[in-house]
Amino acid sequence: MPQTKKIFLTAEGLEVLQRELDNLVRITRPRVTERVQRAREFGDISENSEFDSAKEELGLVEGRISELERILKNYQLIVKRPKAEGFVVIGSTVIVEVDGEIDEFTIVGSPEADPSKKKISNESPVGQALLGAKAGEAIEVTTPIVRARYKIKEIK
Amino acid sequence: MNSTVKSNQLIKEFKHDLSGLSVNERQVLEKLIKAARLIAPIYQKQQDPKYPGANFYPHDVEKTEIENAAKKDPSLLDPYTIVKRKNGKLISVPYHLEYRQYLLPIAKQLLEAAKITINREFGKRLELQADALLDGTYDVADIYWLSMRPYKIDIVIGPIERYDDRLFFTKCAYQAWVGVMDEVETRKAKIIKEAVFSSSRKIITPVQQAAAFDRVQLRIDKEAIFSGLIAKFMFSSASLPNDVETISKYGSEITIFENSLNSHFVSRHHPIFHAVFEKKFQQSFPIEHMQEAALLSSLVHELGRQYLQYRGAEERLRDVFPVIAEIGSAVIGIKLLGPLLLKGIITQKQLESVLVIFFCRAFDWWDKYKRDPGAASYVRGNAIALNFLLSSGALQQQGGISWPNFTKMFVALSDLAEILEKILSVGGYQDAKDFIDNYGSFGTFDLFRPKLSQVLKDSS
Repeated sequence: MPQTKKIFLTAEGLEVLQRELDNLVRITRPRVTERVQRAREFGDISENSEFDSAKEELGLVEGRISELERILKNYQLIVKRPKAEGFVVIGSTVIVEVDGEIDEFTIVGSPEADPSKKKISNESPVGQALLGAKAGEAIEVTTPIVRARYKIKEIK
Repeated sequence: MNSTVKSNQLIKEFKHDLSGLSVNERQVLEKLIKAARLIAPIYQKQQDPKYPGANFYPHDVEKTEIENAAKKDPSLLDPYTIVKRKNGKLISVPYHLEYRQYLLPIAKQLLEAAKITINREFGKRLELQADALLDGTYDVADIYWLSMRPYKIDIVIGPIERYDDRLFFTKCAYQAWVGVMDEVETRKAKIIKEAVFSSSRKIITPVQQAAAFDRVQLRIDKEAIFSGLIAKFMFSSASLPNDVETISKYGSEITIFENSLNSHFVSRHHPIFHAVFEKKFQQSFPIEHMQEAALLSSLVHELGRQYLQYRGAEERLRDVFPVIAEIGSAVIGIKLLGPLLLKGIITQKQLESVLVIFFCRAFDWWDKYKRDPGAASYVRGNAIALNFLLSSGALQQQGGISWPNFTKMFVALSDLAEILEKILSVGGYQDAKDFIDNYGSFGTFDLFRPKLSQVLKDSS
């Protein structure tokens, strides 16, 4: 039997996802279901753009609910380790030097990845390469097209 | 000349979805579309591809004559004046006076829209834009536009782009667009923007860099109409304003035009892709991936442009500035995708697809240039990139079929980005000229001509 892949979550990320699921199930799903019902009452559903749009929204909501349920069944909570441990773990915020530039980001489990908040997935090439590395180490991160050398300046 | 009939060739209207708009918004949109249509006859009067100075200057004038006369009368090289000869002397006439009879009905439509819109901030924007058209206070209108909250409907109208002035790259040609924001795509694009801008990036001369990265607004629009210069070139994106000092103080706004982009993709880029890439290679790039990549490519092109807002670049590089700036934006945009791939924000296939689209766009500009020399800056820049790729071994071609090596291509384009940024930040006119002379030959396009003539209108 295929083994289900564990999804890493911080306590903070777990709370956010639980809240999102709760919100979707209690508020969004009933609201969109009602929108579909109302649109159906407008008449011929074959030429009813409001019905199509409402159905599409419901599909997206149901998809997200299933996704969140899957994550919340298979997650593994990341226990925040003291900084003194000295190497990169999921949940670490790292300051790196790459190509002469300084960058800072936090490595999180894939459901929490949010590039606009500088949270990158542990499954990304950088995430995979940096896990376990120590401050001061330089790691070559490669993909078939792009490669870069990341020097870890600090682990927070 | 019947400019109304002619100007119809300079208006492109797109099918647009009104379902997300209120009755009031639909009424406003209709007025704005009417205003935009009226721009085309003005552009018709300004353009003339036969002359490098279009109709901005007398056709018999020498470049040096204008330069000498401008020492005494700088208004001759103002972006918003037309140059005429009167009693043997060069004089300038501001656009808002020269074209007043055409501008009055446009301002009227804008003011009517301002009166009916229930969004007061947008109403104010329209009033200021109407004023600008009639009295030349374009900067006042621009500054307000940049400082207002993004609104579902957008209009950009007036003298804006300089590509038709191949003498000095100074005079602005009239154009207009009206768009309705695609909120879903705008949200997705903003994630990429934030990811790009959140990593600090080495800037060659920080003192000269004018971009205000925290004030770059971004929207993906379904445009309803293009009129004037933009209708001729069918741009797929824009970043305004053009003035570096205004950008530095007030930021800029990037707009991606979904309709133009999709229409280009279907009618031009995808057929070019089929013509110049090997069949098996094509199979690994499904059309949906390519279409998504077209949007990503336009987006990073405009994000790349933000990194090239160097003070004094236009003055130093003069008429070759647009060649370096346009291709510079494109290749820096691609370079910006490298860290996004490493951080798992985009996939390798997305980056490969952007590289393929980059290649297809180059050929599209070459074809446009054959029909209108106003596209010269774009095609010269793309020629530089293609020659750079061929000389670095990143691209092999045999019988007009290309075989890209994506790894080498990414490295070569990153190197090219560095060279172009250096020219823009600290380089002189001669540096730019020498680089263009070395790499800007159009001969590369000819290698692909037999294959491309099947899909492009080949004028030769």
